[in-house]
Amino acid sequence: MKTKIFYLFMMVLAITACGGGGDDGLPNSGENTGDPLPVNTFSDWLIPKNEVKDGGPGKDGIPSLDSPKFVAASDAGASFLTDDDLVIGVVIGNDIKAYAHSILNWHEVVNDEINNNFITVNYCPLTGTAFGWNSNASGEKTTFGVSGLLYNANLILYDRKTGSNWAQLRLQCVNGTLKGDEPVLINVVETNWKTWRTLYPNTKVLSRSTGFSRNYNNYPYGDYKTNQNFFIFTPSPLNSALPNKERIYAIMDENVAKVYQFQKFSGGKAIKELFNGKEYLLVGNENIINSFELTGNQSSLIFEYSFTNGEQFFKDNEGNKWSVFGKAIEGPRIGEELKTSKSVVSFWFAIAAFYPNPQIFN
Amino acid sequence: MNLKIYLSLLLFPLGYFVDAQTCCSGGIPLSNNIGMAILEKGSTQIGIAYDYNNLNTLNNGSNKLDDNARLRITHSVLVNASYAITDHFSVEGLLTWVNQRRKITQFGGVNLDQSSGVGDALLLAKYNFSDVIGKNTDLNIGIGSKIPLGSSTEKSDEGITLNADLQPGSNAWDIIYFTSVSKSMNFRPSLSVSSRIIYRSTGTNNDYFGDSTYKFGNDFQAFVGFSDQFLLFKTITSPSLSFKYRNAQQDKIGGFNLDNTGGNWISVIPNFSININQNLVFSTKAELPIYSNVDGTQLTPTYRLTTGILFTIAPKKKFKLLI
Repeated sequence: MKTKIFYLFMMVLAITACGGGGDDGLPNSGENTGDPLPVNTFSDWLIPKNEVKDGGPGKDGIPSLDSPKFVAASDAGASFLTDDDLVIGVVIGNDIKAYAHSILNWHEVVNDEINNNFITVNYCPLTGTAFGWNSNASGEKTTFGVSGLLYNANLILYDRKTGSNWAQLRLQCVNGTLKGDEPVLINVVETNWKTWRTLYPNTKVLSRSTGFSRNYNNYPYGDYKTNQNFFIFTPSPLNSALPNKERIYAIMDENVAKVYQFQKFSGGKAIKELFNGKEYLLVGNENIINSFELTGNQSSLIFEYSFTNGEQFFKDNEGNKWSVFGKAIEGPRIGEELKTSKSVVSFWFAIAAFYPNPQIFN
Repeated sequence: MNLKIYLSLLLFPLGYFVDAQTCCSGGIPLSNNIGMAILEKGSTQIGIAYDYNNLNTLNNGSNKLDDNARLRITHSVLVNASYAITDHFSVEGLLTWVNQRRKITQFGGVNLDQSSGVGDALLLAKYNFSDVIGKNTDLNIGIGSKIPLGSSTEKSDEGITLNADLQPGSNAWDIIYFTSVSKSMNFRPSLSVSSRIIYRSTGTNNDYFGDSTYKFGNDFQAFVGFSDQFLLFKTITSPSLSFKYRNAQQDKIGGFNLDNTGGNWISVIPNFSININQNLVFSTKAELPIYSNVDGTQLTPTYRLTTGILFTIAPKKKFKLLI
């Protein structure tokens, strides 16, 4: 009898222990709402599948911000920003917003609505690249999330409409039903907080009240930004023409790129450039660069950097004053917008990996 | 320092069914079952255990973050065996089978990545010094190696190679250093206090993702525990309580320290064992963290459960006929 009791006891213990192994309970999360996510069963990739890497946190392990909150630049909630902190800046209509790297480091994707436009601001901390694009997949509104996968150390997003995977710096859907599609880009700039605040003092700032518990004071990747040889995921090919982690500005066109170093714009410059058969205007200083494809009679204009204080960033010989986003804010061409180029601020190695042997502006 | 004084600082038990937890090779409790007692010459011990490791606590340093969307689970089956070559020298081995799971519950979706398979193995040689630091004491020292039998290139259902943490194996040889001390109390011989230290000097996977290297952080574990034996329904039962300190250095990738890995943990481990019969012991235990201070932000153990049985096969007795 006692032996039976012991065996029963042991079984109970075993069941207790094994029962603890169940992992079907859903952890609580304030964001666990909405429709079930689509499953992507497509195995074909436009990029070498064996070079797609599991980043570690898993799909949505780095949670996107889908209900971002904003505060005014003068609000105490924006006081975490210091002059040198990098931000991604967007202006659509009268809506002006800044997304701090220190928050994007932990979320990488912000699905936002600006002036009735649904946009996805995405930032890869490992390649230092940020884009804004329409929150569309297959012509329908969606949101994007972090797939947990990387290609050449760069973020792969997925859309929640089809589950397709989008390689950020390649600017293309590389796997899934939308394979081959390209996102519709929104013009964004990356600069430090002081510059952005000077350009747009009325900007709103992405709040740290994200709904997620994170230490936004911490940069999560140690000395990654400054250690030229430290890669968590090895990109290929590497190019020693510049230090791997140097922040550069790049214009991309088809499969080629041209790179501009910030120090070449020290003090402020406006430069006309021919690249890949197109004429570009680059305007910037040591803290911010933007570029535009010149079309029509815009080629005949002579541009001059003229940023001091406020929205005006450059001017031309016709008397027009232009914003950093290439919109004429004064002068005979008021309201006219220069064509946005396909460009990004990036660590050098990333551009060299995605667009091998890029030209370097000298 | 006098050897005896030094060794006495390591004071430690060591029941027959070991109460150690775990050096993690991606969550696999390799050292969980090492350190079987050295029995008389010719004795064989075979243990089978199931280990469940649940990581659902997200920490920033020692601060617990309010986020349990990430769940990391390791199911392990551990088979270990020990053979006493002499009364003081034994060799033991440990084989593992593991299922590594990473489950993210976020935005209305559940994403599960997992791998399963034979994990890394471990081989350990130990020597026992009886009463060398006092009456009724046992000192064991050992050295061994983790053998990379497990695969380190398992892929997800989508065909993407999983990262090091989710692999059954590490593709790296580690060196294991082991020492334990135990003392039975004179006033109650069944009551013992014991201590154990395990240090794992980790090797490097030189073919991580095919283009990099990966090294799990060196791992130090120290245990202090108390155990006793009681008769319950005419059967020997052995409750014990241990405290564990673990320090793991940061992992290295491509030769550089990888942030958000490594840390310090203190856990309490209640254990309960029953002698089913003379040769068979059933044991179950839990490991409950009471302090976690991780590097950066990372998932940290929430709890661990281990259940197993231990067979002991004593050598056949030789009787001399007295004429």
